[in-house]
Amino acid sequence: MTAPQSIHTGSLDVLGGEVLLDVSHVSMGYGDGEHEKRILEDLNLKVGHSEFVSIVGPSGVGKTTLLRGLSGLLPPKRGTVSVAGQTITGPHPDIAAVFQDYSRSLMPWMTTRENVAFPLQGQGVGRRERNRRAEESLEEVGLSGQGDKYPWEMSGGMQQRVAIARALAYHAKVLLMDEPFASVDAQTRFDLEDLVVNLREALGVTIVLVTHDVDEAIYLADRVIVIAEKPATVVDVIETGFGTVRDQVDTKADPRFQDARGRILTRLRKA
Amino acid sequence: MKTLIRAGWTLWLPVLLVTIWWFASANSTNIYVPSLSRIVEVLWRDISSGLLIDAARVSLTNLAVGLLIAAAVGILLGLLIGETRRLRLILDPYIHFFRSVPQSALVPLIIGAMGIGAAPKIYTVAFACVWPILLNTIDGVRGVEPTIRSVSRVFGVPKLLYFRRVVLPGAMPQVVAGLRVALPIGIVVMVVSELFASNQGLGFYILNSSATFQIPETWGGALMVGVIGYIIVIMFSLFERRVLSWYFRSGAL
Repeated sequence: MTAPQSIHTGSLDVLGGEVLLDVSHVSMGYGDGEHEKRILEDLNLKVGHSEFVSIVGPSGVGKTTLLRGLSGLLPPKRGTVSVAGQTITGPHPDIAAVFQDYSRSLMPWMTTRENVAFPLQGQGVGRRERNRRAEESLEEVGLSGQGDKYPWEMSGGMQQRVAIARALAYHAKVLLMDEPFASVDAQTRFDLEDLVVNLREALGVTIVLVTHDVDEAIYLADRVIVIAEKPATVVDVIETGFGTVRDQVDTKADPRFQDARGRILTRLRKA
Repeated sequence: MKTLIRAGWTLWLPVLLVTIWWFASANSTNIYVPSLSRIVEVLWRDISSGLLIDAARVSLTNLAVGLLIAAAVGILLGLLIGETRRLRLILDPYIHFFRSVPQSALVPLIIGAMGIGAAPKIYTVAFACVWPILLNTIDGVRGVEPTIRSVSRVFGVPKLLYFRRVVLPGAMPQVVAGLRVALPIGIVVMVVSELFASNQGLGFYILNSSATFQIPETWGGALMVGVIGYIIVIMFSLFERRVLSWYFRSGAL
């Protein structure tokens, strides 16, 4: 099958410029030796500064496992993950994460501000500076002045904004997102998607997002990595070419969006 | 007004029961069941003379120190054991063995080994109270949301901070439940520990009066322990509301 002309088959390498996140020959799995259950086979991926990469695949393909590998929570069976030229051996200050389930990732005994500031406390940032950065990040996600509320006093969408603010306040170079909008309603999901688009444009953060939602993957990303099969491997890479600005109506009506959507859905149906 | 109505609902039954007891026992001739008026009379006499106040002070000091030790040891060990799988595997059998031993039965042994004075009594209370606190803390730690653990790891939260600000508050509802279970155990063991080789405290007061056939005093002492226990539980509920305010409020929404 040949790719439609309007979209490009992307590369696993960066388009140009510096590599920030380098995933090299990474295999992930659980168990050892003969009993090893291989989840992900030989993944290679380079992500550049300020790039937005989506990794899309069917449910249960191993997306969360991959993200655990990238975040340093689970060491790869083979291969290396490096950020800014440094191979990571565990959680790394250049990598922050937003988890799928906001209601479980925020601490109900802390106020919103404390939740956002808490990781900074571990880095030895003083109280004043912590609170300043927390307030700043809350403002960036549209929650200024809400720092004294507890997470359980907020809607799901607002809670996920808090989780995003927490990752931003950490000032990491790479932001990993694991199905971050899977547990909110459709309208909130659109709002959060646009929030992330704007944050990328305003702050130049580098984002790797995994999702099973094909539309979301295309809408947000510069490059969409499609993974499928067992163990999972990369089956397609698409460059969207949308630039840094998106619109929920126009972008999704763009022929390139439609082409990419058709191509990925067809590919995943085969898998 | 609302609080008055609620207090009314709580109070009418005890008031009724005490009234029944008062009149039913008024003409009692059974020396083991003296009239309530007689019990109250001797109770008041021994409180005014300071005898019971001193006894209560000794007992409650032992109880408080014992509980504090139990809480400190139970919570610290519970946090460590709950967080460390290996430690759980090694220690699990011992924990369940020791907590199954009836604590009151050990009192003569402990006092035999440690002698008279406050130390063995404090130790007995601490030893009896530590188990529910320890087991509940371990459970509470196990129950901390895995995503919150992942978050703490991704953001490189140092161990000590992690225990203080993540694991401890996350386990706190269970820790408090453990303390709540430990309180009445502590009160019982406090009294029992004073029945052996003792010359002060509420348990001694009860034992001594009973041994010298001062039955109203025995009843009075037991009544006093009950009232003290009730007051302690009420105070504990207030403490619980404060410490777990986030928990109750989040659950209420």
